[in-house]
Amino acid sequence: MGVTCVCQVPVAEGKSVQQTVDLLHKKLEQLGAVKQGSFCVDCETYHATGNVSGQPSKLLYVMHNSETPLSCLALFEGGPCLVADANFDVLMVKLKSHFQNAKGHKVECRGSRYRYCDFLIKVGTVTMSSSARGISVEVEYCPCVVPGDCWNLMKEFMQSFLGTSVPELPSVFVAKPEGLFAPADCVDTVTQYLELFNKLRKLQIPGSNVR
Amino acid sequence: MEAPPVTVMPVTGGTINMMEYLLQGSVLDQALDSLLHRLRGLCDSMEPETFTDHELVYLLKGQQGNPFILRARRSLSHPNTPWHLRYLGQPEVGDKSRHALVRNCVDVATSHSLPEFLNEMGFRMDHEFVATGHMFRKGAMKIVVSKLSRILVPGNTENTERLSLSYLVELSVLAPAGQDTVSEDMRSFAEQLKPLIHLEKIDPSKQRH
Repeated sequence: MGVTCVCQVPVAEGKSVQQTVDLLHKKLEQLGAVKQGSFCVDCETYHATGNVSGQPSKLLYVMHNSETPLSCLALFEGGPCLVADANFDVLMVKLKSHFQNAKGHKVECRGSRYRYCDFLIKVGTVTMSSSARGISVEVEYCPCVVPGDCWNLMKEFMQSFLGTSVPELPSVFVAKPEGLFAPADCVDTVTQYLELFNKLRKLQIPGSNVR
Repeated sequence: MEAPPVTVMPVTGGTINMMEYLLQGSVLDQALDSLLHRLRGLCDSMEPETFTDHELVYLLKGQQGNPFILRARRSLSHPNTPWHLRYLGQPEVGDKSRHALVRNCVDVATSHSLPEFLNEMGFRMDHEFVATGHMFRKGAMKIVVSKLSRILVPGNTENTERLSLSYLVELSVLAPAGQDTVSEDMRSFAEQLKPLIHLEKIDPSKQRH
């Protein structure tokens, strides 16, 4: 796993989510990227039952990334994170009287996976309760694990197909002291997806379902 | 870099419920060597695996009912290996003639942030201990001979005190629910260890005060 950046791409003016995604695919193919399968990142939300009254219930997020299909990531926003194997989902079922699954809050991001030289690009549609809420783009620069060393290169690459929607250095990397390696267990990637999902959850989409 | 397979169906709900079949017994320290000798002869590998593990037992007190228990175990001899989180359900009540204790079991391998994460979930550590000993395998059966030690200062695994003058011996099998021939195989294996050790079904709920 190399340094990975996840960002949101706004829907193009006058176009639907699907049309914007198709535009991005076309731009990537023009660059010379090759499609290599699909990907899926999903997030389930659990909240603790039986909390002290007055205190907001802690939210536990359990996420899966198709890039690491046998793993499961459990995290508290701003809190500790646990990397576990797929049986963690079975354990959460056993814990259902203590942690309730907020089924309506399940978020999924699905799309195509492109390979361009040393870059891996994933363009996904973020859906919540079957309605498309936004577009995510994940760019991974595989050979490098130090964010400070390759951020400028990644930004330049992203500009070639995202134009003006290029993001700033993700906050997960800003918090790390200079020269620290991005861990290989995709915690940083998944944390960025969680931030994106929470941001999209708070957005009010005018009108009915956009597909 | 090939794309990993993307599953359309969620992982939850499709996993088989695994059950742990268990028989337990103990031998005094003086009898350990004879037991290890007998097990070496009966079991699969040439030399048994030795281990030194640190286990922490966590409780989550709910609004009603019994607290939820989780066991977190890590290896002190291989500190870089993942932690092992285990949930054990209530023993299945039923066929009294069944030879082994049967209970639902969920095993999860986790990263090293497990104790901090469990605390954040609301679990509190109830007790911890160090277990060291030998592990043997025969087919699907696992035989663990361990010496348990009490930890005198919380978190300090160097300073321990042996709990007893004997070794705990556990014969277990992990199998999907409904395979009752498992306990038969366990019983016939246990027969071969008599009279050195008497392995039997011990119901943990009957042990509580």
